[in-house]
Amino acid sequence: MTTKKISALKKSSQKWDYQKFDKIDGSHPLKKEVSDSVVEYQVRSRPGGQVAVFNFQLAKDMGLIDKNHPDELTPELEEKINETFSILIINEFDKEEGKEFPESEIKANTYMATRYLQMQHPNKQGKTSGDGRSIWNGYIKGRKGITYDIMSCGTGATKLSPATHIHNRYFETGDPSISYGCGYAELDEGLASFFFSEVFSQNQLATERILAIIKYSKNISITVRAYPNLIRPSHLFSHLKQGNHGPLKKLVDYYIERQRKNKFWESAPQTKSKYNYFLQKECEVFAKLVAKFETDYIFCWMDWDGDNILMDGGIIDYGSVRQFGLFHHEYRFDDDDRYSTTIKEQKSKGRYTIQTFIQLVDFIKTKEKKNIKEFDNHSLLKKFDKIYKEEKLKLFLSRIGLEDKQCEYLYKYHKKAINNFYQTFCYFEHAKSKYGRHEVGDGINWSAIFCMRDILRELPQLYLSRGKNINAKEFIGIIQSNYATEEDLEINNYRKTMIKKFQKSYWFLIEKVASYFEKTQQQVLLEIMVRSSIINRYDRVTGDSITRIVSKVIKAKPALSPDEIYQTMKDFSEYQNFDPNNPGSLTSKPRRPKLLKSMLKIVREHREGL
Amino acid sequence: MKLVFYGGGHESENLPLHKLSVELTQTKSPTITYIPAQSYGAEEDFREFVKSFKKLGVKKFLFSPVDYQMSDVLKDEIFNSELIHLGGGNTFYFLYYLRKSKLINRLKTYARSGGVLTGLSAGGILMTPKITSAGYPYFDCDDNDEGVTNFKALNLVDYEFFPHYKNSKRYNEVLEKESKKLKYPLYACPDHSGIIYNQGNLEFVDKCYAFIQGDRIKL
Repeated sequence: MTTKKISALKKSSQKWDYQKFDKIDGSHPLKKEVSDSVVEYQVRSRPGGQVAVFNFQLAKDMGLIDKNHPDELTPELEEKINETFSILIINEFDKEEGKEFPESEIKANTYMATRYLQMQHPNKQGKTSGDGRSIWNGYIKGRKGITYDIMSCGTGATKLSPATHIHNRYFETGDPSISYGCGYAELDEGLASFFFSEVFSQNQLATERILAIIKYSKNISITVRAYPNLIRPSHLFSHLKQGNHGPLKKLVDYYIERQRKNKFWESAPQTKSKYNYFLQKECEVFAKLVAKFETDYIFCWMDWDGDNILMDGGIIDYGSVRQFGLFHHEYRFDDDDRYSTTIKEQKSKGRYTIQTFIQLVDFIKTKEKKNIKEFDNHSLLKKFDKIYKEEKLKLFLSRIGLEDKQCEYLYKYHKKAINNFYQTFCYFEHAKSKYGRHEVGDGINWSAIFCMRDILRELPQLYLSRGKNINAKEFIGIIQSNYATEEDLEINNYRKTMIKKFQKSYWFLIEKVASYFEKTQQQVLLEIMVRSSIINRYDRVTGDSITRIVSKVIKAKPALSPDEIYQTMKDFSEYQNFDPNNPGSLTSKPRRPKLLKSMLKIVREHREGL
Repeated sequence: MKLVFYGGGHESENLPLHKLSVELTQTKSPTITYIPAQSYGAEEDFREFVKSFKKLGVKKFLFSPVDYQMSDVLKDEIFNSELIHLGGGNTFYFLYYLRKSKLINRLKTYARSGGVLTGLSAGGILMTPKITSAGYPYFDCDDNDEGVTNFKALNLVDYEFFPHYKNSKRYNEVLEKESKKLKYPLYACPDHSGIIYNQGNLEFVDKCYAFIQGDRIKL
C-alpha cells in the first residue's frame, strides 16, 4: 500500500470535530437589532434527508470543518449536516390547523425569515414580502475573521411568499396546488446554483455560495447558502418605502458595522459621516458591477425593488441568472406576469438603485422622506456614470488580453482612441439577427450574431503569424455565430469600413504598448495571444449549458456520490477559471473523466446560447 | 517527410527534442502550431509550450485545441505554419476529433509536402499507421470513451510508437507480445526520449527500444 493511501485511510478514520455546526442554531443579531425586519418561526427536524453535496472548501473557509479535513463525507459529518440543516418551519398554516409536533423534534431557538421589498408582491411597499421559502440558519465567524450569514432555501412556506398575499390565505408547506409558494425547493435548481456560483466564485465574482444540498424524495431539496453579508438593497428599501425611519437607520447601521467587522470597510467612520461613506461605497459597487455584468454578458435581473442582488454586488438567487455566450441584449426572462429587464437595462436599474440609496440616506439624515425625483440630478449619479464608463473601458482592455499595467497606461494616455475602438467593437458585439424577436425556452430574445470572444482569441494569432490585417471576409468568418443568417453576414461598404477601423484600432494599441514598454510588436502580440486564449476561451459556460449539465449530473449512472458531485464541480469550475494571472491547477485525472468530458461537450455545444 | 516523435514528459525536459524539431524547419523565424489533444487544460499547457520554444528563439505561435470548432481562417493558417505539434492526451479522443474536424487528410498532405509534424505521446501515436498502442498495456492505456472502432491513423511511417515506456518486466511482456502481431517494428520511448524521422532516416534521441516479433532491442 502506498504512503499516500495509508495517510488517506488514517485521515478518513480520524475523529473530526464538528462542534462548530452547533453554533448554527437560528441565532442571528438581526433578530434583536432590527426586529421589524424579521418574522420568527419555530422549526422542527425534518426526517428523510440525504446530503446530496457538501462544499468542503467553503466549509473550511467558514471554519466549520478542520482545514485538513479530507473531501470525504464521513457518516458523522453527514449526520451533523442533517441535524443542523434538515429542518422545516412550523408555519401559520400549521398553527391554524392546530398541528402538533413532538417536543423532541422542535429546535430550541426560533429561526427568522427576513422582510424585503419584492416587486412581484401585490403590496409594493414591502409590508408583506420577503423570504417566502427560506429561513436564516444563523451566522458563524470564519477562519480569516469573516462572519458568514447562513440561510436555507426550501424550509417551508412563510407568510412572506407572494402566494399568501395573492390568494389571501396561508399555505401548507408542500401544498401541491401552488408551486413557488409551497415552500419547497428542487434539487436541480440547487445544483444549478451550486455549479454556477462556484464558477463565478472561481472568477472572482462576488456571489452567494452553496454550502450543502440535502435531498428528499420527489426531487425536493434544501439548499444551504452562505455569504459574508446576506443583506440586499431590498431589505433597506422596504423600510424606506414604508417610511420606517428607526428600523431603516438600524438596518443601515447594522450593515455598515458588519462590513467594518468583516474588514471590507475598515475605514468606515464611526460618526454620522458613515452614511456618506456608505453612499460612496454603494455607488462604486453598483457602477462597477453593472459594467462587469455587461462585459461578461452576465444577466441578473435587477429592478427598482433592489432584489436579486446583495448590497455589495454579490449575486443571489440563481433562478434567473444567466451568462450569455454572445451579447444577447434583447433577452428578457418571462416571469409569468411580467418580463425582466434586459442586460443593457441593468445599468439604468443599477443607477436607480443608487438614486434610491441617495433618497434613503437623505431620509436617515433629515427624517423627512423626499420624492426620489428630487435626486434626479444628484452629483453621485454623475459619479456613477463616470465610474461605469471608466470601468467599461478598462474591462474592455483587459478582455483583449492586455496586462493590468498596459491597460492603465493606455487608459491614461490614449483614452479617446480606446473609446473609439470600443465603439467599433460594440458595432459588431451589438449586431442582431434579421430573423427578429422570437420566443425562447424561458422568455424572449432577438439573437446577437457575432461572437467577439472568437475574434479576440484568434486575431492576435493571425497577426502574429501574418504580420498584417486579415480581410473582411475572414473577419466575418471568425466572428459569425450559429445565430447568423446569410443575410446577417452581408459585407456591405459600411461593415467593410468598420472592419478596417477595428483592425486599425487594434494595431494602434499594439504599437503604443510595444513602444511604451520597449517590446517588439511580436512580443506584445504573443503575450496577448497567450492571455486571450484563457480570457476568451472557446468553451465558456452559459445558463443553457448549466441546466443541461445539472440534468446530466442527476441522471449519471452509476449515481454520483456527494463526494463525486463535489469533485466534479471542482474539476469543472477550475476549468472555467478565466483568470490569466491565476489560471488555477487542473487535476490531471478528474475523478469522473467521462462525465467531465460530456459536461465540457455540453458547454461547447451551448457556448453561444443564453 | 520530417517527423518527430516525443516519448512524453514535461516541456522543460523536452527542450533537446524541441531544438531538433525547430532545426528541421530550416527557417529562422518559424511559426509553430500547437494542437492539443483536448481542450481540458490546453491553455495552461500551451503557456508552457510557448515558454519552452521561446527559449529557442521562436516568436510566432498558433493554437487550436482539436475539439474547438476553429474558424476556417485559422484552420488554413495552421497549414501555413512551418511546424505543427500534436499534443499528448487521450489518443482515441484525439483521433475522434481530428476526424470530426476533417483534419486527417490535411495533416497528411502537410507532412508529405514538407511541413514538420511533431507529436508527443498520443500525438506521436497518431502519426503511425494505427493507434493500437494506445490500447495497451491494460494497466496503463487510454480509455476509449468515444467508442472509436476504426483505429487507422495518419499512416506516415511504417512502424508503431509506444510512448511513456518504462523498462520493466510487465511492460516488456506486453510489448513483446504485441510486437508479434505486427508486420513492422514497435518503437518504445520513455519520457524525454524520441525519434526523429527525416526524409526516411531514423534518429533515436536518448534511450529508445525496438520490439520486433517478440524481441526487445535497445537502440
